[in-house]
Amino acid sequence: MKLSPDPSRIFKWATLAFSAISLAFLVAAAIRENIAADWRDHQLAYRTILESKANDAGRAAARTFPIEIRQVSVPALGAVDRCVTCHAGIDDPRMADQANPHKTHPKRLLEIHRVEKFGCTICHQGQGAALNFDEAKAENFYWDYPLLPASLTEATCNSCHDPRALPDGSAPKLAWGLRLFAEKGCGGCHKLGGKGGSLGPALDNVGLKTKHEFVRAHLKGSQTTWNWHERHFRDPGGLVPGSLMPAPALTPAETEALTVYMLSLRRGEIHSDYLAPDKIEEKYARLHPPPADGEALYQRFCSACHDTGMHARWDRKFARFVPAIRNRAYIETEDDECLAENIREGRPGTRMPGWGQKAGGLSEGEVDALVAYLRRSAPPMELPPAPQRGSIARGGELFNRQCAGCHGVDGKGPIAPALANPVFQRAATDAFIAQTIRAGRDRTPMPAFGRAGFGDGEIADVLAYVRQWAPAGGRSTQ
Amino acid sequence: MHEQETKRRDVLGLAALWSFVSAIGVALAGVARLPKPAVLPGPLRVFKLGDPAQFAVGSVARIDEGNFFLFRGERGFHAISSVCTHLGCIVAHTEDEGFSCPCHGSRFTADGAVIAGPAPSALPWLELALAPDGQLQVNAESHVPKGAYFQV
Amino acid sequence: MPPTKEFLENLKKTPERLRESALRVGKLPETDRERSQSTFHNLFLHVQSVRTHRNSLRFAYTFGLGLILTASFVVLTITGILVMVYYKPSTDLAYQSVKDIHFVVPAGRFIRNIHRWAAHVMVVAVFLHMARVFYTGSYKKPREFNWLVGLALLVLTLALSFTGYLLPWDQLAFWAVTIGANIASSPREVTEALGITRWFDIGAFQKQLLLGANHVGQEALIRFYVLHVAVLPLLTAILMGVHFWRVRKDGGLSRDVTAEPPPALIRGREVQVFPPTKTYGLMAVVRGRTPVVGRAPEGSVPSWPHLLWAELAVFAFTIALTLALGYWFDAPLKEMANPAIPENPAKAPWYFLGLQELVSYSAFMGGVAIPMIVLIGLGLIPYLDRDPRGVGKWFGGPEGRRIFWVSLVVGLISVVALLAFTVQFGWLRNWFPSIAQLAIIALNPGTVIVAIYVAWSLWTLHRTGSIRMSAIALFTCFLAGFIVLTAMGSVFRGPNWQFYWWPSQWPVH
Repeated sequence: MKLSPDPSRIFKWATLAFSAISLAFLVAAAIRENIAADWRDHQLAYRTILESKANDAGRAAARTFPIEIRQVSVPALGAVDRCVTCHAGIDDPRMADQANPHKTHPKRLLEIHRVEKFGCTICHQGQGAALNFDEAKAENFYWDYPLLPASLTEATCNSCHDPRALPDGSAPKLAWGLRLFAEKGCGGCHKLGGKGGSLGPALDNVGLKTKHEFVRAHLKGSQTTWNWHERHFRDPGGLVPGSLMPAPALTPAETEALTVYMLSLRRGEIHSDYLAPDKIEEKYARLHPPPADGEALYQRFCSACHDTGMHARWDRKFARFVPAIRNRAYIETEDDECLAENIREGRPGTRMPGWGQKAGGLSEGEVDALVAYLRRSAPPMELPPAPQRGSIARGGELFNRQCAGCHGVDGKGPIAPALANPVFQRAATDAFIAQTIRAGRDRTPMPAFGRAGFGDGEIADVLAYVRQWAPAGGRSTQ
Repeated sequence: MHEQETKRRDVLGLAALWSFVSAIGVALAGVARLPKPAVLPGPLRVFKLGDPAQFAVGSVARIDEGNFFLFRGERGFHAISSVCTHLGCIVAHTEDEGFSCPCHGSRFTADGAVIAGPAPSALPWLELALAPDGQLQVNAESHVPKGAYFQV
Repeated sequence: MPPTKEFLENLKKTPERLRESALRVGKLPETDRERSQSTFHNLFLHVQSVRTHRNSLRFAYTFGLGLILTASFVVLTITGILVMVYYKPSTDLAYQSVKDIHFVVPAGRFIRNIHRWAAHVMVVAVFLHMARVFYTGSYKKPREFNWLVGLALLVLTLALSFTGYLLPWDQLAFWAVTIGANIASSPREVTEALGITRWFDIGAFQKQLLLGANHVGQEALIRFYVLHVAVLPLLTAILMGVHFWRVRKDGGLSRDVTAEPPPALIRGREVQVFPPTKTYGLMAVVRGRTPVVGRAPEGSVPSWPHLLWAELAVFAFTIALTLALGYWFDAPLKEMANPAIPENPAKAPWYFLGLQELVSYSAFMGGVAIPMIVLIGLGLIPYLDRDPRGVGKWFGGPEGRRIFWVSLVVGLISVVALLAFTVQFGWLRNWFPSIAQLAIIALNPGTVIVAIYVAWSLWTLHRTGSIRMSAIALFTCFLAGFIVLTAMGSVFRGPNWQFYWWPSQWPVH
């Protein structure tokens, strides 16, 4: 075996080369961290601005403005926000005319929200720990709550304030969104604070949900929760296939206001030192509700499906008629107890949920207020006495010929109210049913069979047939 | 021939060895910086105390979260640290006797000078300023010479 | 001498004497004898033999893999201690403390990146090292036991990696612990199917042992932290010591003894001939009987400086590699742990993705039984294959090389075909929805591929009549399976563990 003069030669070269590479990376890393960091440039620029703005006495202090990482640590909010490293002049009114990041916070908001007490992320979200803008904004980084766009920042006011109590113009979108939520009848399907329907998901903490908790398969554009909300308000079914939610008719500004409201819904406990007095009052009001306003309740919980309640409404998504519950013809045939029972129990098996304390979360007082509101359409009339129930066999024949088209052969009503429903059977009296057959229902597809050749005999037969679906007990035994 | 080989090998070997050593040295220098925190944890040691007018002339306020006393006298505001300069216990203040430390018996006059005990130096006076938003601000990290009263 | 003068004299000479006493020899070695002494007089160097065979320094023989492992372990230990300075092992604080290391700790981001990448380097190197040792037949007598020590080190390396990547308490961490703990409890699949869980609930026992609770929380984090920073590194360091010591005592690195020239007289002097199990004759060296510097008859060179240069080069390489990776790529850190919603897909680091693919067929088979079978099989290799021929030659010669290539093709084709079949047609549960779980455990793509590989190996045994060849066939097949399954799990599985040709096709979810 011929041996080379120095077997280690190759290893020496390798050591030399790899050590040189290591050195290069070490030096590069040191430069990147200690010299090239963005925040150093910002602070140096800020120091120059500070010097030019300072009076003679402050100039020396300005010159010694230290270049260092700054942070606001707020243990009560669990925040360590380093935004002030670059936004060093955020609470200095002299910087109002500067460009970002040196600019003073707009609207002098920091005078009432001192940055040392509140930090930044409690209002703006984003990654407070970061030292560069991309990672602080955190939209494309692994971070649950990226920086809110300025147009939506109002959302976080709701954490400590009651939006209705804020002075005019301080959180207009949030207050508007809150009103829209009630006006557009969102509560018909969505629970909030235990009150609302159950067709859609509860919205209590929707502002704390991360983007991963939304169906984003069809979400175009930025993958943020606010983009999701805005697009979802425009086209619910396009974003969530199979969604029952109708596209609410909203202007772009209304969409934004509702998005702000959605983002504001977060029930995370904030240290009580931080709650505004009105927020505490709002919490108190939730426990001790003021007298219920029937019209507002109707708007919030019923209008999404029943609309004005004056007409039967064909609902495309449900593929059936939604009853006209404020229609004079209906209200005058029902007594208050019947109405209250229908509201409390709903129509099990249909899209109409129950609204009593255990289901929709409405208190007895609120149900009564709703009944009183419905009652405004017409006083109860004296119903003609119900005929004696007739023959089930003949009634069945008539029912199948005349009624089953809308109410269904089995009485479960593919498109019209379900007569075989236990709550209907319990709440409706014979007189009510007979009157409805006889006089029909104005402004709904239900015709007046009394004018179409039904005499008392036919009505009695159909009544008997409808009553065979009655469960034991209730008014049906009359 | 043999001599030359030895010589060349030495140069290469030494260069390799020293480049390795210097790489390790630079790495260690970088590593040595790690234990010293770049930014101190915990809340800011600059305290905003609100409108200066709320402190009456002749009053003493003990600011617990900042470990200092705030005085307002005829000549203006001054703040004195309540951290004993001996070993860091918190001194107590009485109107007549100045400050006294419970741990090792150091005693200080009303303006912070040592009069008894092991404390090596006077209690420092802290820097006061008016924040841009008009609040009285005490920087507990920054000292000023004794007698530097702050006029609003 | 007056006492004062003596005192001053001693004081003056103290630095020199300090150096002498510390170094024992007191100067750089010049002769062979001094070189030997500098090796065995030094705590850190004496783990090496005084002379090293030239074959051990041949790069194409070892690729320096064992040294890369050592070097990366050293790098990991140092960087690990450094990040420990700032890391807070609490579910509330861990994530924020890692963010702080990333953003504000001086050099923290770089050091954490290096720690992460060095761990990847170590895992790659440990697999390659094992393959090198296997294919050069280096597990054979007298090195059987060291192969077992090496296997233990393989397991420890993976355990260190697993316990390490869940410390940041991000989404990846949380769901990895959850999945890991449920793999530990997967023997329940079997005990449930047999109806003996009430008496013998080994699954729940293992899970509670890992988590300290029935759910993933603070207790689990502390346990994994203790494992990661104390128990496992200590065990690894001890076993590394044993591993090195056995390498030396078992005759250094393996080599092809038949290829060496017969010992002869050199320059008319008789030369000490060492048995092939020893790399050197210590006394011979000490007495200065080795005839020519660097030309020992068995082709060995003094460890000082030649082996040390080789080691230094590999250390420099490993450091440069981890620095480069750490400079260019940030260690991953996902969103903070959110017990409400897992990542989709929740993927482990790449080296566990083969296992994750197997687990997606059966948690018990893929997560417990097949890894156990593979480990036991690997452990048995040196005791079943006792044919001493072919040691120190890649694949033991041309026949082994041919078996290797054929087995690689067989292994790749069969696992790819099986995976393609599974993706295309599904498996038992898709065809017979009400099938018993025990049937799935016994017969799933994982067990089928193991059976195919074992069959191929047995057929090779039958055909060649050589246990060594059948071992090569089996090992190669498993290597192919590992590679393909890992690729499958890393690249071709997307949300809901569905098959996709490339991650860019994943739907947003």
